Amino acid sequence: MSAAKVEVRDVRKTFGSVEALRGASLSIAQGEITAIVGDNGAGKSTLVKCITGLIPPDTGDILVDGSPVHFSSPKDARDHGIETVYQDLALCDQLSVWQNLYLDRELTRGFGPVQFLRRRQMRSEAHRLVSDLAVNVPHVGRPVRRLSGGQRQAVAIARGVMWARGMIVLDEPTAALGLRETAQVEGLIRRVVDAGQTVLVVSHNFEQVKRLSSQVWVMRAGAVVTGVRTADVTGEELVGLVTGAITAV
Amino acid sequence: MSGTLTRPAETAATPSGPSAAQARPASRGQALRRHLGNEDLWTRATAPVALVVLVIVFSILNPRFLSWASLTSMLADSTIPIVLALGATFAVTLAGIDLSLASTVALGSVTMGLAYDAGLPMWVCAFVALFTGLVVGAFNGAIIGWGRIPDFIVTLGTMSLVMGVGLITSQGKPVQMPDASLSFVSVHGIGGIRYNFLIAIALGVLLHVVLFHTRFGMHLLAVGDNTDASKAMALRVSRVKLAGYVICGGMGGVGAILLTSYIGSSQPATNTDYLLRAIAAVVLGGVSLFGGRATMVGPIIGAILLTFLQSGLTLLGVSAFYSPLLIGIVVIAAALLMRGRK
Repeated sequence: MSAAKVEVRDVRKTFGSVEALRGASLSIAQGEITAIVGDNGAGKSTLVKCITGLIPPDTGDILVDGSPVHFSSPKDARDHGIETVYQDLALCDQLSVWQNLYLDRELTRGFGPVQFLRRRQMRSEAHRLVSDLAVNVPHVGRPVRRLSGGQRQAVAIARGVMWARGMIVLDEPTAALGLRETAQVEGLIRRVVDAGQTVLVVSHNFEQVKRLSSQVWVMRAGAVVTGVRTADVTGEELVGLVTGAITAV
Repeated sequence: MSGTLTRPAETAATPSGPSAAQARPASRGQALRRHLGNEDLWTRATAPVALVVLVIVFSILNPRFLSWASLTSMLADSTIPIVLALGATFAVTLAGIDLSLASTVALGSVTMGLAYDAGLPMWVCAFVALFTGLVVGAFNGAIIGWGRIPDFIVTLGTMSLVMGVGLITSQGKPVQMPDASLSFVSVHGIGGIRYNFLIAIALGVLLHVVLFHTRFGMHLLAVGDNTDASKAMALRVSRVKLAGYVICGGMGGVGAILLTSYIGSSQPATNTDYLLRAIAAVVLGGVSLFGGRATMVGPIIGAILLTFLQSGLTLLGVSAFYSPLLIGIVVIAAALLMRGRK
């Protein structure tokens, strides 16, 4: 395994009386696709949100490129080059595709505090980007609510790809997609890794995990119970690990 | 049409037919047809079309309706509704509402009267009224943003609170302000179009630029559209809300200045009709009550429409008692027309 991009050590998080994470540890290797699998309520989403700055952990350490970080907002994670594609996509339906792509990172011009949006430039660059990614998005000026499920997913992933400087986290990237769209998204993820980025993907789909990832971590009841190289494990064994029927490969 | 008929099995299997169809790149003709069938277009066209129809109908019923004197006088009357509608647009764009807008106007005119009584120069008095509006807006925005209480409840409370403060400080008595510089904007103008109307339009242009050509405007639309997504994108949701309500309150302050200029005295009693008309103009203007979708032109036309409706009825000799009834009908009709257009 190559150097760790992100290392999570004994992270705990409690919501009221619910222990969402009770000591989760894992590492994500630089430049490869790492997967997290687990049943509903295993703590996958909470762990992802800790890594991406949406939820600060109660205790435990998160290290990025070897140095400890304390993210208190998604902006902190972004500043470390980590982009997230959330399960709910985090898109604003009424805003156009280009507005969503540039949200909070708008291009402006002006003097001092008086800044105006470079609408045309953002629109044309969004168009070029979307065309480059060969994702099937019809028109960057359209509001996102007019797009199909696959197109919306593509917009969210395009945003991640466009801004990531090191790592992309994808929470259930293909949960709502059909077969063809899933294949497109998987192709996109592979290209992102080929371009040198690190990818963390949370998935329910064991076949997909087998197809895509190099390393897989299994979560159960708020803890990471095991981690294996994907090549060393079968889909059936993964199911067993997730349900607790087997404890090690 | 025939395209869908050849594959009935697929159409039946996918309830989301229209969106699936849109996934394919469309030809120019299809794009045009879709544009015409685009509900956005109809939402935006509602107020201008209704205004044109109304002007035609009233001018047939009474040719004096379209005389220059009548027209400019009606536009001057629409000044305060326009300014308040501009402010309300910011609250509604945030998927909120500001019920305290009309009482902010009353309080602003009261504080302006106090400043006038204290012998301060007129521009300071006007600034005091504006500042009052900004403070009320900041109060609303802070509680909505950080207190995480629904805007409806907060501004309902503020409405009464602000009304109370206005009545207590003024003892319910209006302050006369016989000042030529104050009434100047309501009396004079360019070619008959009064300065107060031109001020309202200038504010509309300014706020249009703020909403559509600044980062803040884009963030405001995003927060109104989807708060969770905005948080995930690291927008400072509470601050954006605060700023939106400050603008709304500020427009209440401007409304107070224009009202005082118009009638020449402060007005401690809240005129709830202002609130009703502001919200009505926003709805008519095609601003989504679910937030995130707005125009500045729409509410301006909506406010002019409502004023023309009222003046036209008066011109036809219809009793003023009928105007709230008619405005209510117009608002509900507009809301029905835009129902489900989320």
